[in-house]
Amino acid sequence: MNFFARLIVDIAYFIHTSDAYQHKKRFFYDLLENNRFKYKKFFDFLMIILIFLSVFILIAEVKHEVPQYIKFFNIYVISIIFFIEYILRFWISSSVCEIIIAKSEHDTMLGREFSLSRAILKVIKAKLSFIFSFKAIIDLLAILPFFHELRLLRLFVLFRVFKLFRYATSFQTFSSVLSTKKFEFIMLLMFASIVVFVSSVLVYVMEANNPDSPVNTLFDALYWSIVTISTVGYGDVTAVTTEGRIVAMFVIIAGVSVLAFTTSIVVSAFTEKLDEIKETKIIEDIRKLKKFYLICGYEHVAQEVAKKLAHSMTTVIVLDEDEHRIAHAKRDGLVALNYDPGDTQSYKKIGIELGTQVKSVLCLRESDVENVYTTLTIRSINKDVNIVSLLMDDTNRKKLSFAGVNEILYPKGLVGMISKELIGRPVAFEVIHALRNDYYGVNIEEILVDDRMSQKIVYVKELNNTKFRVVLLGIYKKDKKRFFFNPIDETTLESGDYLLVIGKIIFIKEFEKYLHKKIKS
Amino acid sequence: MKTKMALIFGYNDYALEIGNNIRDKYDEVVIYSLHREQDSLNNRSNFEIRSFDLSDHWEGVSENVDFENSIAFCVLEDNAENIFLTISLRSLFSQLHIIALSNNKETANKLQMAGANRVIPLVQTTAEMISEMLEKPIVKEVFHSILFDSGELKITQIKLNASNDYLGKEISQIDWKYKFGVIPLAIVHEDTSSDFIYSSKIRHHTIKEGDMFVIVGYETCISDFEKVVGGRCDVNWCNWSR
Repeated sequence: MNFFARLIVDIAYFIHTSDAYQHKKRFFYDLLENNRFKYKKFFDFLMIILIFLSVFILIAEVKHEVPQYIKFFNIYVISIIFFIEYILRFWISSSVCEIIIAKSEHDTMLGREFSLSRAILKVIKAKLSFIFSFKAIIDLLAILPFFHELRLLRLFVLFRVFKLFRYATSFQTFSSVLSTKKFEFIMLLMFASIVVFVSSVLVYVMEANNPDSPVNTLFDALYWSIVTISTVGYGDVTAVTTEGRIVAMFVIIAGVSVLAFTTSIVVSAFTEKLDEIKETKIIEDIRKLKKFYLICGYEHVAQEVAKKLAHSMTTVIVLDEDEHRIAHAKRDGLVALNYDPGDTQSYKKIGIELGTQVKSVLCLRESDVENVYTTLTIRSINKDVNIVSLLMDDTNRKKLSFAGVNEILYPKGLVGMISKELIGRPVAFEVIHALRNDYYGVNIEEILVDDRMSQKIVYVKELNNTKFRVVLLGIYKKDKKRFFFNPIDETTLESGDYLLVIGKIIFIKEFEKYLHKKIKS
Repeated sequence: MKTKMALIFGYNDYALEIGNNIRDKYDEVVIYSLHREQDSLNNRSNFEIRSFDLSDHWEGVSENVDFENSIAFCVLEDNAENIFLTISLRSLFSQLHIIALSNNKETANKLQMAGANRVIPLVQTTAEMISEMLEKPIVKEVFHSILFDSGELKITQIKLNASNDYLGKEISQIDWKYKFGVIPLAIVHEDTSSDFIYSSKIRHHTIKEGDMFVIVGYETCISDFEKVVGGRCDVNWCNWSR
């Protein structure tokens, strides 16, 4: 490798491994391309405003004198902003360093001399593919009004409107739906073009020599033909000869057919893509969620769990590979996606961040095999997310634990324990069951003692819970992982403690309100 | 001599779990199977497996059973058979306490109509546990420890005797917290009706002999409380009304 090539490769490695560079590039990539980046929507909004301002100024300039500073803003400021955006997009479209490094490693692996010229060729190819992409061309045309002195280029402001495609996802959805019917549209366009061509030539031949006919040129004939086939029919140019009118009748029939066919193509494109559009929308919404429970498998227990969690206003997302179960979940009013929870690709496609978005994953298939498989899939993506799983056969308990389940629930064992309580302390059991299930409006709640609360309310006696007819069952000290039942008045409250209170729901809510008011005061 | 027995109908994992949990409470635990020969061959538990069918020939079952103190668990996997079994048992043994297992709400209602004293709705109960595990983990931990673990904290039923000093006083007048170190949760009146103690009406309820309190507390505090007001009481749970 010659000195210059080595230098280029070293620089490529240096830049590629530079955290500061990568961080900046990542930031601009997120800002321009990543829909999940929180600042992207603000950036898109700003660009949309600039586009509309630009068009508004263009319209205003037609009949009014626009102040100089507005012209300056339109010509220079907006154009420079668009230019910077174009350069940034050009930069992030592909990584020059990566291409050079990949080429260098490839050549080294094959025992060949590193070819700098080929690497540069690859870089140029990558960059050119960006430059000639439809969106990049629109971006470039939107910058052209910068050369304002060329009067015609002022009209290029209108190209800025096309930039809206970049910023409004609904436009993108619309164009992607229509693009699925590309073949049909091309066929239709060809048919319409042939009809227009033939009819305009025919009308020109038949009408041009008639002094009463408004069709004098081929352009008049073309104009008449397009106006007629589109079924608009202004009436300013009409065929006056019998032959011309016969052609007009055919063109009208062809026009109606083209219109009907176009409508049916658009409708069928949307009908076929409706589920996909809905799913895309659901996925977008899921990506925006901050916290939710992920239920894997929608069988009997899952249905009940989802109902209970939804009742407590918690967001639940259901994943299941079975279409019928997903349809059931949707009927139950849940957000459900027909994806296999045991496939890592599912999580990538949906874009669920297991570490940050998911409170807990619930493996609720009534099959230990499926639950172990799903658990291993999730653990392969994220080591820390809390996983709760059903256990159907006690002999599989170790397998679930080994797979990485945090909490296991064995319904058969539960039945055994409940039976024991029912024959031993039936009333006590029923009382706790009633408390758990909010019968008679009496409930037990956990109230978190946060930093502010612990500063304002130091001792248990300061809680004043009796005033609200709320019973303090005890305090759970999270740091000590111990429950202190019926604490004495002098017990201190610390941040992170949980108060377990029993009472009528309405009184508990009042009590909570009182605690927060006390903090504010 | 009549024996206090636990009769478990249906040989499956539920039956074995129930049997293991209650075996020390009864003189004898017997599992009845519809397919005894086959189940006996596969039986790896210590429980005796007897045969039964859904006809009205219960002579073999009813011999030597103290029905008043015995209990039956209906855990057949087929819902219809389980309901039919429950109604058969109820029609023949009116005093027998029957606990039945159901997979869904509809079956639970039918089992109750068939005469089961208590129905364990399997799916609902499991779902309750899971949602509590997620939404109220501390409540779940504390209740689990009170109910199922042998920790220091206990929940128990105390029946008030005739000689205690609190008869005629209102519930709110008793210093539960400081004097006894216990927390009352509910009261079961003499007429078997029951209430949580959190309504103002119940707080002003005048205590009578025969009232029963469900209290939570440490073992020592409960024992002290017991000495003053009455004794622990294992009641017939079918008296508990919702």
